[in-house]
Amino acid sequence: MNKIMAHMVAFYPDREKSLEVARALIDGGCSYLEVQFPFTDPSADGVYIQRACKTALDAGFKVSKGFQLISKINEYANRVSNSRSSNSRRSESHSSNSRSSNRAPHEPGKLLPSHPPVFIMTYANLIFFRGIERFLEECKDAGVSGVIVPDLPPDSDEGLYSLGRKKGIKVIPVIMPNITDDRFDLVINNTEEYLYAAIRTGITGKFTRIDSSVLDFLERVNRAGAKVLAGFGISKKSQVEAVAPLVHSVVVGSAFIRVMEDAMEKIGKQTCLYQAVLEKIRELV
Amino acid sequence: MSGREGEKAGDRDGYKKGEREMRLVNNFFGEFGGRYVAEILNPPLEELKREFLKAMEDDEFKSEFESVSAEYTGRPTPLLFAENTTRMLGGGRIFIKLEGLANTGAHKINNVLGQLLLAKRMGKRRIIAETGAGQHGLATAALSAKFGFKCRVYMGKVDIERQRPNVFWMELYGAEVVPVEGVSGTLKDAVNEALRDWASSFEDTHYLLGSALGPSPYPDMVREFQSVIGKETKKQMEERGEKIEALVACVGGGSNSIGFFYPWLSYPWPSSKTPRLIGVEAGGSGDNIGEHAARMSGSGRPGIVHGYKSLFLLDDDGQVTPTHSVSAGLDYPGIGPQLAQLGKDGRIEFTKASDEEALTAVKTFAKNEGIVFALESAHAGAAALKLAPQLPKDRAIVINMSGRGDKDLFILAERMDRDNWHKFLRSIV
Ligand SMILES: Cc1ncc(COP(=O)(O)O)c(C=O)c1O
Repeated sequence: MNKIMAHMVAFYPDREKSLEVARALIDGGCSYLEVQFPFTDPSADGVYIQRACKTALDAGFKVSKGFQLISKINEYANRVSNSRSSNSRRSESHSSNSRSSNRAPHEPGKLLPSHPPVFIMTYANLIFFRGIERFLEECKDAGVSGVIVPDLPPDSDEGLYSLGRKKGIKVIPVIMPNITDDRFDLVINNTEEYLYAAIRTGITGKFTRIDSSVLDFLERVNRAGAKVLAGFGISKKSQVEAVAPLVHSVVVGSAFIRVMEDAMEKIGKQTCLYQAVLEKIRELV
Repeated sequence: MSGREGEKAGDRDGYKKGEREMRLVNNFFGEFGGRYVAEILNPPLEELKREFLKAMEDDEFKSEFESVSAEYTGRPTPLLFAENTTRMLGGGRIFIKLEGLANTGAHKINNVLGQLLLAKRMGKRRIIAETGAGQHGLATAALSAKFGFKCRVYMGKVDIERQRPNVFWMELYGAEVVPVEGVSGTLKDAVNEALRDWASSFEDTHYLLGSALGPSPYPDMVREFQSVIGKETKKQMEERGEKIEALVACVGGGSNSIGFFYPWLSYPWPSSKTPRLIGVEAGGSGDNIGEHAARMSGSGRPGIVHGYKSLFLLDDDGQVTPTHSVSAGLDYPGIGPQLAQLGKDGRIEFTKASDEEALTAVKTFAKNEGIVFALESAHAGAAALKLAPQLPKDRAIVINMSGRGDKDLFILAERMDRDNWHKFLRSIV
């Protein structure tokens, strides 16, 4: 089984449907859920995520509503993992079942074992404008495990890394193949548990061929001794299988949005995205 | 151009309030500036900074910059005494730096030349740029043709519609003009698209950013290349023995203003001997969100967008808001970080001019002086028309006419002579 970090955009295509998407990704067995908070100027994203962000903003996304959405997602994930564990133990009583599902969302440290951790990906301004400390506290309240903010790299981070450590939210640096040794060392020194490796230069979305340069890069990254989340342009099972053995988890993003766009184009806006997304994640896991 | 120290790594205090001399690369200007970019863009920005610092110490670079400026751009650009307007208003003596007479029609060419020479030194073959009004794209396309670079210009869809003539010129120079949809289809979306391109093309491509903003070293570099405007102006005014009371420039991202103000930024201040520096923003059609682009004289808030920290027009959630100006070149939600800091310190005074005031200024200077301001520059003209009557007769006020108005023909005719213009358009299609 491949460990997948599944990416989605909060409020894409709207609030309810993005919750449906999260359910499909969880039911399909993702190991991590990366929820992007849409920003008006997503300068590191390709066309799929750009379009999704625009749609999500038009659908009324607000940062506070994004956190509420994540609380809901966590509630759902806990119910699922709870019933999974109770299924496996069979004799689990109903009462303990409901108790744990009520408890988990607001105690992020106590997520159930098979509950995929939720990370927020967003751009610097949404965090900086809100106040980094406040943003991280809201993360904690909503049960967010970590944040990924590509344009707040170590040493231009406005205190994000140290505040993250203080508040118990993992800040996950993003590195790319063209990183210099100096920057690489700096990033490693700031890495707590996870490291996000974009396996090629450029932006999200475009297909990445998994060649020897990608594998060499991942080998270099692995020397950091962190849990490596690797992605950028991964949409096919063959890519996942080539990368998965070398990393902790494979990141898939634009591919899900493409599947949703296709479904909505074929069947119309009212289509049930759950099925389309579920099929895609099952194919990759 | 040489002899100044570069930036020390991680030095946030490279630029202090009141410091006599700026460094070539400051990175931060007080609290604004910086380099907030994904890791991917750090190596090309470092390469650019290194090359810039090296070039500024190199006499060959300097002499090539000067000879192309003279031969191609037509420098020095003239300084005109606006005699009739001065008489009409009866206050301070009004001068106009005719920067818009530079080849390609605006000050943008100075920065383009500097960066293209750097690109050549770095061995790049391809140039990408964003453009709003099209003036920066035009200058980039023109000089790319001259120096043999492949050139692609990103331009918002909305801007393409209102600045079609410049698209035609860019294509004539052999550039590829790519429409950008983004969220608003304007300049800020074009910047995003150029950044995206650069993230995978930096090995052979230089991103030729068109204003004094963006991640370090752009704000420093663009200021240095535009400083030629201010240096010439100072010399021209000294030769005439004029006493400058105020300098006025329009502010989009801030490249013409910072270059125009440059020589006076290192003067002691506050002091009665140091001229007032006045930046004029787009007041647009009103004060509501989406009706203007007034960051300093309006409602700019601290943010981090497009790789730098500065004041931006943001909503309560930190999303970038739409802007409006009759002049596409001022229609941008952020302001260069050094200007933001100088504004905060009070060194630069900021004010705004509305769409209507800018149009009136275009008419006034056309009728009085036989000069057509670009709509962007007309914002500076409008502010100067208000200020001049309050100044004593022996004092001078200098306006930077950053561009000439030829490119605005379609907008001006539509606003000033609608019926005849429509009749004409119908007759030719
Ligand atoms: C003639 C002219 N003036 C001013 C500007 C505004 O830019 P900046 O503030 O960088 O000078 C533009 C931008 O397109 C322009 O074309």
